[in-house]
Amino acid sequence: MSVFSQAFLVTWLTAGIRLGGPVLLAALGETFAERSGILNLGIEGILLLGALASYLTSIHTGSLWLPLFAAMLTGFAAALFLAWMYVTVRASQVVVGLVFNVLALGIAATVYRRTLAHASPGPIAMFQAVHIPWVSDLPIVGPTLFSQTLPLYLTLVLVVVAHFALFHTRFGLGLRAAGENPRAADAAGISVPRMRYLGTLISGAAAGLAGGYLVLAQIGLFRDSIVAGQGFIALGIVIFGRWSPWKAALAAMVFGTCDALQLSLQLLGTHLPEELLLSIPYVVTILAISGIFGGRDVRPAALAVPYAKEA
Amino acid sequence: MIQLSQITKRFPGIIANDAVDLTVRPGEIHALLGENGAGKSTLMQILYGFHAMDSGQILLDGQRVSITSPADAIALGIGMVHQDFMLVPTFTVAENTILGLREGTGAMLNLKRAASRIRELSEQHHLAVDPNAITGTLPVGVQQRVEILKLLYRDARVLILDEPTAVLTAPEKYRLFTVLRGLRAQGRSILIVTHKLHEIMELADRVTVMRDGRNVASVAVEDTSGPELARLMVGRDVNLSVSKLEVPPGPSILSVKRLSVRDHAGQRKLKDISLELHPHEILGIAGVDGNGQSELAQALLGLRTIEGGSILLNGRDITEARVAERRALGLAYVPADRRNVGSVADLSIADNAMLTQPRSNTRHSLFNKTLIRARAQTIITRFGVRGANDETHASKLSGGNLQKVILGREIMSAPKVLVVEQPTRGLDVGAIESIWAELLRERAKGTAILLVSAELEELLNLADRIAVMYEGRIVGVVDPASATAEQLGMMMAGTPLEPTGVSS
Ligand SMILES: Nc1ncnc2c1ncn2[C@@H]1O[C@H](COP(=O)(O)OP(=O)(O)OP(=O)(O)O)[C@@H](O)[C@H]1O
Ligand SMILES: [Mg+2]
Repeated sequence: MSVFSQAFLVTWLTAGIRLGGPVLLAALGETFAERSGILNLGIEGILLLGALASYLTSIHTGSLWLPLFAAMLTGFAAALFLAWMYVTVRASQVVVGLVFNVLALGIAATVYRRTLAHASPGPIAMFQAVHIPWVSDLPIVGPTLFSQTLPLYLTLVLVVVAHFALFHTRFGLGLRAAGENPRAADAAGISVPRMRYLGTLISGAAAGLAGGYLVLAQIGLFRDSIVAGQGFIALGIVIFGRWSPWKAALAAMVFGTCDALQLSLQLLGTHLPEELLLSIPYVVTILAISGIFGGRDVRPAALAVPYAKEA
Repeated sequence: MIQLSQITKRFPGIIANDAVDLTVRPGEIHALLGENGAGKSTLMQILYGFHAMDSGQILLDGQRVSITSPADAIALGIGMVHQDFMLVPTFTVAENTILGLREGTGAMLNLKRAASRIRELSEQHHLAVDPNAITGTLPVGVQQRVEILKLLYRDARVLILDEPTAVLTAPEKYRLFTVLRGLRAQGRSILIVTHKLHEIMELADRVTVMRDGRNVASVAVEDTSGPELARLMVGRDVNLSVSKLEVPPGPSILSVKRLSVRDHAGQRKLKDISLELHPHEILGIAGVDGNGQSELAQALLGLRTIEGGSILLNGRDITEARVAERRALGLAYVPADRRNVGSVADLSIADNAMLTQPRSNTRHSLFNKTLIRARAQTIITRFGVRGANDETHASKLSGGNLQKVILGREIMSAPKVLVVEQPTRGLDVGAIESIWAELLRERAKGTAILLVSAELEELLNLADRIAVMYEGRIVGVVDPASATAEQLGMMMAGTPLEPTGVSS
């Protein structure tokens, strides 16, 4: 198989779209948090907790959708705590988010060792690629776009929903105002804390869901290393995607295809060292975050700035 | 009718409002006058729900109401145009207008309908704005129209305007007054904070004077006069007629030749500016905001990349010199934006006072606290900074008091050339009197002063020559002794001094 054959291309793109799914879902949620002025770095940890919750639910129920729901609920609960720290306590968002990630890793590792490491449960039920008659059999687009899993389609639907919510509803307008100029939002009669709670909760629910997605549609098991920085990559995607759901979708696909490329290249057996290939998606993310491709101008002006109403 | 009764508000270390009473009737324009820091904005922000009062009550049509947030105030039909605008710069005018509004039933935004309603209102009240323009790109005068439209869109019965004229040009101001008179005729109540006595005499029906957080008088405008209001407000007679010493200017100390500057978007902001500045001279720079005056001041200080031309200070070429070098050579600067450029909000007066010459405050290369505090103390007493000590943070100072600190700091550096932008914007007459006196004292000492001001009265009173800027050029230099405000106004609008007939 050569790098330029159609078969390679199709495999590569299919894997790219597949791998971009969970980060896109997390990035969509984070877009809401950041648009409201909250930099929720804790999504890395929430992804992990969501993955754990879905895995535990899965081995106990054998269900497909229930674990996904459990993951979302876990993310929501974690975000409630984070929102309290960010908005009510007005703690430093960067410090709280980072420390929370360490805490989440500790929780996940402990629970995993206590309950799962020795039990070695069998394989869990996973989302399979859908097969739509005729459409899935089309050349190129069939396998790449129309043979993915349900969570991916759900995520794509959420891209549209997120765009609509942010730019065509009163809620979206208020949320964005809270992130751009909280004093003006306040003066207009909008509760900035409420908007920021909602933004954080949405990001938490989405990140939890993304963790479940990772386990139930991609990996099929749990390790405390399964998230592997995908939460941070989602943060990068939000920036790369200029805080817009559409562009985040494109950015996630870029990330996914980079990730898939390194996998494919490994399979092809190039002379490049494996570590170098593994780092490709992360390097692309860092470049994206650095802002050298632009985007600094559209950053919500009050991002990560706590807002205190005057006495 | 809206009644504020016995409103008291304490901030740490100060009583901003001390049992203030205030009544505004429907169909009345009520002016609020008072020195910087007298508590006017605080009182208005209590009425708008931004600050919580410690005691007192608010009555609307005789009913006691509780206003704990702007949302409460808006629901009661109270709207406010703040001293610093409350607009989201990245939103369109329509988005800013409907922000926070619960109109219709659905959760959906209907920006088209909002836009057409804005067009209606703006026609009805002669407030021209494009509903689809991005707010941050609009000039301040237009942004203020957006703020007023916001209130009209909500059909506010009580309109509060905190120093609305401070940022306006003369024609914009008259347009605003026409709008406000129209709103009064509709029976709305208007509360307007201003430092300009002639605006009160011209526009208002009643005026309330505040001093040190207290209401010292509420009178009908026809029963009072400008000088009396000034006396009530400051507690002494104010004399704004200046007497300038006739000093022959020396040889040029600052010489600018064919200076050109672009902004970051690549637009030419200064085009071939040439000027000479002499010791014992105040050179006024007139112009409508945004015609290059600020860029000129910033270029002189080294805050702008210079594209062409040269600047000589005392014969030395400083075109490429860094800011610190220019300051060391005797340049000093009072920027137009006191809050963000002139000072650091979270530093004390003492720290702010030494920011521009940190070296002169050290002993064995460590900061000498005693020296720094003494210096701050000198500024506070000599320039009459009120209600503050050397440890007070800049963010807690009223605009006028902060301006005194900044001007004091710059003057204390014994400059040869002092560049001042809008030195009295937003200041009360008492403060204006003392700032003008300080500038004239500097002039008498031999300092060359470049005075950028949007206040024609200030330029006509202080300047020895007035250069008028239009679209980045100096379109003419006039002698204030013979120039009139009308003439300057024409030049600021781009009409050259003498019509040159048919030009090629
Ligand atoms: N948030 C705050 N915290 C502490 N002190 C404050 C605060 N806001 C205002 N003050 C103080 O309260 C007093 C009244 O301030 P206020 O802004 O109401 O004055 P003002 O009359 O509007 O003055 P200006 O004409 O300069 O706008 C001032 O001494 C000011 O320093
Ligand atoms: Mg004020």
